[in-house]
Formats: sequence, C-alpha cells, structure tokens
Amino acid sequence: MDQDRPRVETGRVLWSDGMDLLQDAAERKHLLPTGLEGIDTLLGGGLRKGQLTELTGQSSSGKTQACLYSAAHVAARHMGAVLYLDTSNSFSPSRIARILDELPISFIKEPKDVRLKRVMSSIICESVFDIFALFEVLNQLEVSLNNKVNNGGKKICLLIIDSISSLLAPIIGGKYSQGRSMMISVAMILKKLADKHNLSVLVTNHMVAGNGAPKPALGESWKAVPHIRLMISRDRGSNICTATILKHTLLASGRHMKFAVPG
Amino acid sequence: MKNEIQESVGILKADKGANKFKGAEEPSGVLKGAQNAWDMLSEEQLQKHISTGSSDLNGILGGGIHCKEVTEIGGVPGVGKTQLGIQLAINVQIPMDYGGLGGKAVYIDTEGSFMVERVYQIAEGCISDIMEYFPYHHDKSSSGQGNLQPERFLAGIYYFRICSYTEQIAVINYLEKFLGEHKDVRIVIIDSVTFHFRQDFDDLALRTRVLSGLSLKLMKLSKTYNLAVVLLNQVTTKFTEGSFQLTLALGDSWSHSCTNRLILYWKGNERCAYLDKSPSLPVASTPYAVTSKGVRDAATPNCKRVRIM
Repeated sequence: MDQDRPRVETGRVLWSDGMDLLQDAAERKHLLPTGLEGIDTLLGGGLRKGQLTELTGQSSSGKTQACLYSAAHVAARHMGAVLYLDTSNSFSPSRIARILDELPISFIKEPKDVRLKRVMSSIICESVFDIFALFEVLNQLEVSLNNKVNNGGKKICLLIIDSISSLLAPIIGGKYSQGRSMMISVAMILKKLADKHNLSVLVTNHMVAGNGAPKPALGESWKAVPHIRLMISRDRGSNICTATILKHTLLASGRHMKFAVPG
Repeated sequence: MKNEIQESVGILKADKGANKFKGAEEPSGVLKGAQNAWDMLSEEQLQKHISTGSSDLNGILGGGIHCKEVTEIGGVPGVGKTQLGIQLAINVQIPMDYGGLGGKAVYIDTEGSFMVERVYQIAEGCISDIMEYFPYHHDKSSSGQGNLQPERFLAGIYYFRICSYTEQIAVINYLEKFLGEHKDVRIVIIDSVTFHFRQDFDDLALRTRVLSGLSLKLMKLSKTYNLAVVLLNQVTTKFTEGSFQLTLALGDSWSHSCTNRLILYWKGNERCAYLDKSPSLPVASTPYAVTSKGVRDAATPNCKRVRIM
C-alpha cells in the first residue's frame, strides 16, 4: 500500500493515515526516558521523538541536571547517540559518570567500566556561544544526518540545547525584529530536524520577572514553538524538584509531580 | 564600489573554503570539532583548580575555582569579595612546582577597590605559606626561590581600570586579542561585573541584551583559552515567599550567565560561603576567614563540617 503513495525526493511518503500512526505509537519506540522518575511519569514515559520539549525554570532549579540525566540514560539504554550543545560550560563529564554509577547493575549486563566508556563515547558535546554558531552547528548536523553519518554506528536520537534562551537573549527585544525572526528560524530548523530524522529535541529556557510571578523567557512568539513545555522549580535548600506541565499535545496542563535529583 | 566588490569576493572565498568541510564525510563524528564525553572526562581529570586560600572553601568548590568555567561570586558589600578576587589573582601564579598553575591574572576593576598595598601583603602571605609547606623544596631549585618574590606576583597581574559600561564592553571585546597574545593568563577577574549597569541604564531591555552578550563572550573566552573567569557581583534583597532573601543584583536575567555561583554572607561575626549553583557539585556552605595574609580557613577548628543551608 505504501508504494501507491506519492513520495518526495528523500523517499518519505507524503502522508500516512491514522492506522499507521497508531501502529507507530503502539510500538512505543518513540519515547526516550529521562531517568528522572517524576518527569518520566509526568510525560507518560519520556521525551517524545519527533517533538521539541522545553524545560523552563529559575536559576539552579535543576534544568541542567535534567539534561545530564536524559543524556546519560538515553545513551546507557542503547537508544542512540546524544548531541549536547552547551552554552554555559555546564556539561560535566564527571557528573555523567556519577549518574551512570547510580544505575542498577542488573539493568544493563556489562561491567561498569565498559559501560562507562561505551556510554560516554555516545554523548557528543559541543559548545556554542552565539546564535550564528548554533545555525552553523545545526546545518552541519543536518548535512551529516542526511549523509547518514553515524557516530560509531549509532544514530543521533536526542539533541539537547542547554540553554537556548542564553543564545537568544542578546538578540530579542528592542526595536528591530531580526532577533525574533532568527528565533523562529531556529525553531523551524529544530522542528524540521526532529521530524525528518526522528530526533527528540530538548531545550532549556530561563525565567524572567513578569507582572507578579516570574514567567518563562523568550516571550509570546516562543510559546507556540515547543510541543511540550515543562516548568521545573526546586524547593529551597533541598533536592526535591517539582515539574509542572505548561503545555502538552496529549496530556492536561497543570499536572505536576515531584522528583528528587540525587546529590 | 570597488571595495564592496572586493569584500564580496572575500566573503565568497571564505564561504567556499568552509563548504569543502561541510559536504565531506566525517569518519570520526557527526560534528567537526565536537568532543565526546569520554575524552572530556579524561581531560577534566587532568585539570588543575585554582586554590582560594581556604581549604574548606576549596572543598565545597571541588578543589578550587575551575578553569574553563565562569564562576560568579556574590556578596554584600564588605564581606570580602575583592579580598577573594585578589587572593585568586595571587594563587593562580603559584608555580607548578608548588602545586599551582603558574599562570598570570587579568584583573578588571570597575569600582577602584584594588589596593596595591593589600595585594603586596597577600602575596607575601602566600609566599610565606608556600615556604612553610615546602620547606625543603626551594633549597633544591635555586631559580624557584628567586621566583618567589612579591614583586613577581604583582608583575603577573594585568590590571585594567574601567570607568563606564562602554569601557567594560570594550575591554571584554579586547580581551580576545589580549589573551591570544598572552597565553599564560589563567584567570580573568571582573570586580564587579554589574556595577556600571545598575545606574545610568534607562532601557532595561537593552541592558539585558548587552549583559547576555557579555556573558556569552566571557563563556567563550574561558572555554577557548582554558582559563577561569570570576565575576564578582553585588547582592540585593528580594522579597519572596513572605521574607527578604538575598539575591544577586540584576536578578533573573543575569542569573543564568554563570556556570557556578558562590554567595558570601555574614553569619553573626563569621564569614560564610554558600555554593548556590554548580553542574556537578551539591549545594554546601562553609565558613572562612579573611586574615592579614589573605583568605584562609576559619579560625575555630570545630567549624569543619559542611552543612546544607
């Protein structure tokens, strides 16, 4: 039946019907667990492939930790390679090693040091410090995904940008709208990458002062961009964080769950 | 017209050169220039940290101030931020033979709080501690002993005094060229980073944009030149959740612009430091002291425990 359908140059079908999509969903291969129980439960299993998830929260609320946990868990479960784009030099390999240490041994059947090397080799980290460098990196990523370049045999399945708001903060606001148009360009590129190559994209955003309560940065135009928006907050002086759904394509907003980030 | 044509030709040539890499097969990885976490782990384990002078403080920081990261140190006026800044500018110069980095320091002073006499005093204090710690070492290397003079330490600090926010932006832009020429600089201290932005700035949105741009440039400098960037910042009170809390000046928009954050505060008569943000270390606090020799551990021995605030 697939052969009847018109295809674009890349060989993908132009449309699929509901039954195909349902079958895809039933196979449940499209969820990437973050490793933080509360977030996974809240998301119904994990980060969805093909979708853009945003994590927003105040400073030191646990966003970078959530990103590190996701990178570690996705790489550990053989789900694919992870590309981590870091804007604040916060990617900590020793923290990833400690997270992997905490995984139960029975979970993955190989000696710890072998697992450590395998997992760490699947996480690629690149520092980006301005929006143009980000465009360049995404362009290179697209080219290499199109050419089916693999990192040691594993295809990238998770792209993390921590944090995209620090790259966009110097350019948005002000009289001219170039900043906002670049933000929307980045958003479109990320969503296209996610959809075409079945990646999950995780970005973090910070909060700014609003009227009364703090609100996520990047403004109104960004609100429509991510498929899923989660807000994290940390209780002062403790390891317990709360995640709240701000926007989700399937689940109800406002649901929240607590999770602990082990020291 | 001719200049424009030449410029366009230059851009096209540069782009053509870049394009050669883009289409090529990358056998080693998906992205040109990216590292994987395994290589970064080995590199990280070889990194030396910059001692703060107090071993308790080094403990909560995971050995000291990290290179390749931006650390923000905030505190009320008078708690000793400048003292800590000067101590770091001296400690980065401790020669490798004595366990230090043997590098130079760049000190960008916005408030004029850099007192040379105090720097000399702290340098002397540092040298006397080294002599005490390594009593036999300096006998063997006579050149090493010659190097341990306070004047050498003072000569190893590149000092910039800036008086307005435009000068601050200019000096940070200039730093890239400066650091390319002076590759032995291992720490850049800015005291204090937000001083010139708190007054005189009418357009707050512009201020946010400028500061975000500055912080990204500093992040890039620290990564590219493998040095530590230390930003000293004022602290203000914020009324949240029914009580007054200390937060750093310039609030939420600035708060994500650093890798680590240390807050210095008074607890009774004692100075304490609280690690507020770090990608790999847990929150912890510890007391410390400022003596005539510089920043050292707190005097009373039973304050060694590190407690969560």
